[in-house]
Amino acid sequence: MSDATATAPSTSMLAHGRARDRALFANFFRRELTTRYLGSVTGLAWALLHPLALLAVYHFVFTSIFRATGFAGSSFLAFVAVALWPWLAAQEAIQRGTTTLAGYAGLIRKVAFPHELVIYASVAATLALHLAGYLAVLGVLKIMGEPIHLEGLLIALPLWAVLALAVTGIALALAALQVFVRDVEHVLMPVLMILMYLTPILYPLTLVPEKLRPWIAANPFGWLVDRLREALLEGRLAFAWGDLVALAVAVALFAGGRWVFRRLSPHFEDFV
Amino acid sequence: MAALLSLDGIGKDYAKIASRGGRVRLVWDLLRGRGAAQVFRALDDVSFELARGASLGVIGENGAGKSTLLKIVAGVIKPTRGTVVVRGRVGALLELGSGFHPEYTGLANIDLAAALLGLAPAEIAAKRDEIIAFADLGEHIHDPIKHYSSGMVVRLGFAVATALKPDVLITDEVLAVGDESFQKKCIAWIERYLGDGGTLLLCSHSMYHVQKLCRHALWLRDGEVARYGDAPAVTQAYLAYHEEKSMGAKAPIPKAAATAAGVYAVQTLELDPDDSMPQGGKLTIRGDVFSPDGRPPVVLVGIVRADGTPVYGVATDMDRVLPRRIARDRYAFTLEFPVLQLLPGKYFVRAHALDPEGVRLFDNVERSLTVTGDAREFGLVRLPHRWDAEK
Repeated sequence: MSDATATAPSTSMLAHGRARDRALFANFFRRELTTRYLGSVTGLAWALLHPLALLAVYHFVFTSIFRATGFAGSSFLAFVAVALWPWLAAQEAIQRGTTTLAGYAGLIRKVAFPHELVIYASVAATLALHLAGYLAVLGVLKIMGEPIHLEGLLIALPLWAVLALAVTGIALALAALQVFVRDVEHVLMPVLMILMYLTPILYPLTLVPEKLRPWIAANPFGWLVDRLREALLEGRLAFAWGDLVALAVAVALFAGGRWVFRRLSPHFEDFV
Repeated sequence: MAALLSLDGIGKDYAKIASRGGRVRLVWDLLRGRGAAQVFRALDDVSFELARGASLGVIGENGAGKSTLLKIVAGVIKPTRGTVVVRGRVGALLELGSGFHPEYTGLANIDLAAALLGLAPAEIAAKRDEIIAFADLGEHIHDPIKHYSSGMVVRLGFAVATALKPDVLITDEVLAVGDESFQKKCIAWIERYLGDGGTLLLCSHSMYHVQKLCRHALWLRDGEVARYGDAPAVTQAYLAYHEEKSMGAKAPIPKAAATAAGVYAVQTLELDPDDSMPQGGKLTIRGDVFSPDGRPPVVLVGIVRADGTPVYGVATDMDRVLPRRIARDRYAFTLEFPVLQLLPGKYFVRAHALDPEGVRLFDNVERSLTVTGDAREFGLVRLPHRWDAEK
């Protein structure tokens, strides 16, 4: 099948190609934002309500029932909020990204366009919503008198960008696989759930038994959580070499995911 | 000038999935850069060129590969083999609607479609009113597409696909869905578009539309080109194929058996010209008949279309003639149609032997006859006619 070369109609308008892709991305992005909440009464507010509700439940369970301590000087609320939002953003972006192609089946079967734009739009919409919620919650915590260092955003925002890159790569690969093997989305749910509890989001790493600590610390998302806490709760703005490693990992995930996606996307039309 | 569209040796294989595990295997094969292990050959070795201003109708049975071919031209799928070159902007309307989102209103879908075609927002705004007017959906343009009837979706799809005056317009069974008045509007639009030098690739089960709108036709059978050429010739061949298929094979009564049984039987039947004749030409039918008791039989000669529809039949006793006696138990007959105005297509000439009373029909022998020509009239025969009209 390697001898097939085709001049897709889109390339006949090469001059318009990039502009077209941008316009398409913008259209898909708007569509992802609106269709998600189209028909739901709470609308966009739900994006903020969901993590808030979770945060309230965790707060109740961990401070009133388990009476957990050792949150590096800050309250449990601030400790968890800083880490929970990026996690939920990543989790939802991966889940939605994985299943989003099905909603575009009509387009994929009938129109020539770069399919990966769909994933980019889906992931971008989810992350943008949760980033907005994150900033709002940080603001509220600050007003409530929690020790939030807003200058830590100088580190936190680039970390979100690294996260976005990695999440996009994962979503690209899983979305492409999901088209062929429907089990992907069913396996994904429990896997993400387990990963969440294995990541020091609801507990500090110091509470983990000494022997298991290196394993938990090896979790890349755990590293991200640590960096976010350092920046936002302690106000440490120093650059770490680990940041470069994280960026390299994210770039590799993105490149790998896109490679998988591009290998499989010519065959979507028959399976989506 | 180079062709606007050229396909060379196009083939398309689809992966065949036997089991659930087959999907995992397929993904693995695709990731390794191999093709699928088991494939269904949807298209094979299809080549043609379309010059600017040409019009090609793609015909064929369900599953013959028509939609696959159109999708390849539209760029939706890549061919497994061969090359496609498109030099221009393609407007495609595939399988009802040009990729609409069901939750979106008609208006929002217009914007999406325009973005897919690569229009800038300013251009979209300029075209929007034109599209809305052509689709003529009234207030429904503000409703989500999922509440539309299939006809309404096609109206919107056609309006969108045509708004940009594409260099090549690809339509797949669009005209079959819209109501009568919208069909007329579409056909008028396509005719104007062709008149202005537009290029059309039409897929249809309606030979009427293909003959009316297309100069050339391509008949696909099981993914291969069965015939490619002028639209009238290809559509006639295709119709004849169908007529024969629906009729099935009807074996004439074996002559030896008829003779042995002592019944009147047609022994030979010859056509002149033999197998194929031009419309309006002369046809001579000759044959001889066995008569067990030596009395002159009644001979009935009929012409039927390939699907068995009778066109004309006449017997010797109707015209008060007798076949010519050539032996003690044999009679010969000759029937001549000096100007046979059958419309082009495939027919059968049948000869029957009846007893002298013209009551009992014993035998039935047939020969196939193809009438050639490029008439675009409808029906079976050209009737003498005259228009009182200006030239």
